[in-house]
Amino acid sequence: MDLNATDTRVRIEAFLRAVAKADAVRVTRLERMSGGAVQENWALDAEVTGGAHTGAQQWVLRTDAKARVELSLRRSEEFRILQVAHAAGLQAPRPLWLCQEPDVTGREFFVMQRLPGTAGGHRLTRDAALIPDRTRLARELAVNLARLHAIKPPHPGLNFLKTTLARDDIADYRACLDRMREPHPALEWGLRWCELNAPRDEETTFIHRDYRTGNYLVHDGWLAGVLDWEFAAFGNPLEDIGWIFAKCWRFAGKHLPAGGIAEAADFLAPYQQESGRTVTAKALVYWQVMAHARWAMIALQQAERHRSGVEPSLELALTGRIVAELEHEIMALTR
Amino acid sequence: MNDRPDAAELLEIARRTLLDQMLPRLPQDLRYSALMIANAMVIAARERAGGDADASAELARLQTFYDAPQQALAGRALAEALIEYNRRLAADIRAGRCDDRAGLRDHLERATADKLRVSNPQALKN
Repeated sequence: MDLNATDTRVRIEAFLRAVAKADAVRVTRLERMSGGAVQENWALDAEVTGGAHTGAQQWVLRTDAKARVELSLRRSEEFRILQVAHAAGLQAPRPLWLCQEPDVTGREFFVMQRLPGTAGGHRLTRDAALIPDRTRLARELAVNLARLHAIKPPHPGLNFLKTTLARDDIADYRACLDRMREPHPALEWGLRWCELNAPRDEETTFIHRDYRTGNYLVHDGWLAGVLDWEFAAFGNPLEDIGWIFAKCWRFAGKHLPAGGIAEAADFLAPYQQESGRTVTAKALVYWQVMAHARWAMIALQQAERHRSGVEPSLELALTGRIVAELEHEIMALTR
Repeated sequence: MNDRPDAAELLEIARRTLLDQMLPRLPQDLRYSALMIANAMVIAARERAGGDADASAELARLQTFYDAPQQALAGRALAEALIEYNRRLAADIRAGRCDDRAGLRDHLERATADKLRVSNPQALKN
């Protein structure tokens, strides 16, 4: 989608002028940002005259990419999640305005504050200069996650979220496998193991479900904000910990369990302290198996988007070949 | 019979040309695409070099697992037989029918390692 078509840009400016209660808004830059196969993020710079936002503004316009991943939320829902997250004092971009008028760009979008920093997982795990104090960043991530998990259902602002505990996840992933053209015995093995080892009792909190290296911004070595809230749900908080610990999200830092940036204890100790929750070694393994299974489901879906012709893409095609790594890790973790 | 260089040799020199001659001169925003192309080419080359060996071994193991007569197949018939066996295996695993079956883990580990040797051999070393 090209938001820079003159008509579209004029409509975006008119929308912004109305919601910002400004006299005039001039968009000076509107450029697709890298990343986001599922959503498109556009860097939006604007000159605002009048109202509370007067001056030069740096925002992000977030909208759906061509094909939605079936598991992801709508933009209007993500907008409401950001409002809740921001109100709870979590590290996240401040949501500004939601546009549900199809006449503006043709798709739902919202505008949020643009935070500074680097998010790229490969860069953050490779370039030591970006994170001078790894223990400190791990602590920030852990404490922020503990606070995120302090949000509990029922929540008036989040009544649209589904609840998904371990057994629901297993059922979801099996349903996903049933929609695929080929069978995947190693993934079935992992899910059967998850079923046999499922926790007897589970806590239910707000969970992010994509809280990992690659989805947070680091600015001057500090955590600047957590991005990509489109998979959020109510569920077992340990799922988020298994996700950020999973080997598939460690990028170049394979030997550093906490997101490829820090040792396990650097993350777990502050998390346990802030949340009052104990993360056992067994739970950590369990939710890492789940993490690899879940990423495998997403990878299969992405490969299918390419194979089906819906969205021919080399990146999506290669994602299909990541599944072997995830299966390999599942086999190792369940030994 | 085709003339030489063969498919593997063509893929290799094409990839070398991309990485050695083109990549250094590509603008930043195309580097990732070039690296992805190189990766796709090397996976395809490895897959081709391996031929039917992994798939034949996988079929032999599955036939043993299911007490079926050993029957060697090739090409399309091999691929179809594997899908059929794996569909049965997937259903059996899900239903808990082979929770205690000796040899299942070994089989899955080998099948997974064989795939990884094609798609990302580096990951086997981690």
